[in-house]
Amino acid sequence: MSNMAKPILVIAIAVVLAGGAAFYLTRSTEPEASATSDSSAGGAPAIGPGHTRGPADAPITLIEFGDYQCPSCRAYHPVVAEVLKRYPDKVRLEFHHYPLIQIHAHAMTASMAVEAAGEQGKYWEMNDLVFELQPEWAQSQNPETEFLTMASRLGLDQNKFMQSMRSLELQDRVLKDVVAARQGNIEAVPTFFLNGKQIQPRLAVDDFVKIIEAELQAIGAAGAAK
Amino acid sequence: MNVRGLALALLSFTGMIDSLYLSLKRDPGSIPCHITKGCNDVLTSAYSELAGIPISWFGFVFYITVFTCAVFALFGSNQLLKWLLWPALAAFVISMGLVGVQAFVLQAFCEYCLASAALMTAIFVLVLRSPKAAANTI
Repeated sequence: MSNMAKPILVIAIAVVLAGGAAFYLTRSTEPEASATSDSSAGGAPAIGPGHTRGPADAPITLIEFGDYQCPSCRAYHPVVAEVLKRYPDKVRLEFHHYPLIQIHAHAMTASMAVEAAGEQGKYWEMNDLVFELQPEWAQSQNPETEFLTMASRLGLDQNKFMQSMRSLELQDRVLKDVVAARQGNIEAVPTFFLNGKQIQPRLAVDDFVKIIEAELQAIGAAGAAK
Repeated sequence: MNVRGLALALLSFTGMIDSLYLSLKRDPGSIPCHITKGCNDVLTSAYSELAGIPISWFGFVFYITVFTCAVFALFGSNQLLKWLLWPALAAFVISMGLVGVQAFVLQAFCEYCLASAALMTAIFVLVLRSPKAAANTI
């Protein structure tokens, strides 16, 4: 038994050390909010206005390139919503589609569903619902049925919704975002730009707040997080 | 000095850190890529899980198995290393398959996954190299 004790002790110590090292790395590789908001980061790709949420004259425009089937985008969704709640007069969100169809088979359909809802004035309501219910429709064989149910839940005209889902014009709108994202060398989703500068906030409202406050100070607007 | 056992212990210890890092960092949020492009694409793809469990956890189980055998070998129980041949072969084949998925399906590379594939290859080569010799050095 004593022959076993030494190796077992070494293994236990090694597991603890590996766990500690891995935990340390998860903390140390998280980008600092302030360090990534500088102008050395990439600039926003040249693109027309996307769908916006928040006042048109807000001093800060937060651009998001997102994929509705991406788990990280879903995780960031409530964080961004909270940021908009905290800065109702100062931050405007502009969403652009970047469906990574190679790895997310239903991402394009989801973008089309949100755009289709937008045709009936419910873009953001559908945006919220699609993110919220992502685990359900992402696993579905035929997500269109799920999106149709969501459309019905939002009180949309279902025939019109299905027509819009197949609209080439809407498809073109989504693809324009994709082209812009590729031309801008966007490598991951979600990717955020704040007043034209790429930022890499952690998954925390406080990180966004730090970056926004710094930007408000830089442009001379008084920060007033509520 | 059992050089092979020591090398296996070091490689598997590094693998334990790599796989644990991916398992802890993955949930949820962004994983920064420093060398390659597309860590998030790879790690949020359908290929990153098996039955709802992130495959990095399977990697961790493999590495801890190798580490355990290597440590026992360092303390004189070399016969345990023989048992590693099939797990090491399976890990090597699976990791090569996943590299192929990154290259041809996802067209995105995750440096941590590539590092793990390299570690699994090195472990397989070490285990394969002289299983009989390992058994004879008891």
